[in-house]
Amino acid sequence: MSTSADRLVEEYLDRLERELADCPSARRRELVQEISEHIAEARAGLDSETEADVRNLLDRMGDPADIAAEARGPGPETAPAAVPVERRSGALDVAALILLLLGGVVIPVIGWLVGVVLLWISSAWTARQKLLGTLVVPGGLALPVGLLVLATSESTCYQQPIPGARDHMLCTSGGSSGEIIGSIVVALLAAASIATIVYLGRRMGRNAEVAAV
Amino acid sequence: MVATQDALLAQMRRGTLQYCVLSLLADEERYGFDLVRGLAEMDGMVTSEGTIYPLLSRLRRDGLVESNWQESPSGPPRRYYRLTERGRSALDGFRLEWRRFRDAVDHFVERTESK
Repeated sequence: MSTSADRLVEEYLDRLERELADCPSARRRELVQEISEHIAEARAGLDSETEADVRNLLDRMGDPADIAAEARGPGPETAPAAVPVERRSGALDVAALILLLLGGVVIPVIGWLVGVVLLWISSAWTARQKLLGTLVVPGGLALPVGLLVLATSESTCYQQPIPGARDHMLCTSGGSSGEIIGSIVVALLAAASIATIVYLGRRMGRNAEVAAV
Repeated sequence: MVATQDALLAQMRRGTLQYCVLSLLADEERYGFDLVRGLAEMDGMVTSEGTIYPLLSRLRRDGLVESNWQESPSGPPRRYYRLTERGRSALDGFRLEWRRFRDAVDHFVERTESK
């Protein structure tokens, strides 16, 4: 076995490894191994191994760049078209989540509704996940925030002069137990709303991973 | 040959090669080297033998072929490929479409040549 032939094969496999740099590492390792075994078997079948024989053999294997192109997936006509679509929908998906959570706070009702529309036209979630995003919580954070504003405006205290008495503090709050229950409801609504958005955000990432594989 | 015709040939090869691989696996399981040599025997089917390996890997991920490792009489174990049910029905479907397509093209191309 001549060393110059060995070096040729080594160089070839190194080039292949470099060309495959953007492939998942498990797939790259597997491909390089399979091709190196193929070369070894082809060399074993040669009657007398000259440098020219090995060069011919490597020529038949093909340019490492071609092998890497094949490994990267379907033809060049379809690949560039698919990528921008995915990116654009990715940005819209993020916008949907932000609007679902905060849209109603910025522009009451309408901001949230735009989020719902973006959620339903997106392909990043299943129908069940979309339903969850719509129903938990309607309005997003606008609902608990609105309740909070309502509660504080109702429980404002103001001074009112009452005849025959000293200055008297008048409060229109529903009482301290009502206040506690109210704030628990507000907190639960806010937590449910945030949890749903976080869940949808994580599903979006995972669904995209599944699609990419 | 004109450059565009070269590109066309490469496209046709790319589109049909996977079905030639499935055909080679229709009756018997084969390992990579054996499969590649089987394809290369036909002139004009494979220009770079190395590209068969990423193709096999994709066919496996798509569930059209499956593989298992077997000891070889010489050297390291070999990964043998065989057709799955899904691969078989994909091949049957292609065979039908291909015959129709081939006959249609022949109908026009052969007629003008024989004249």
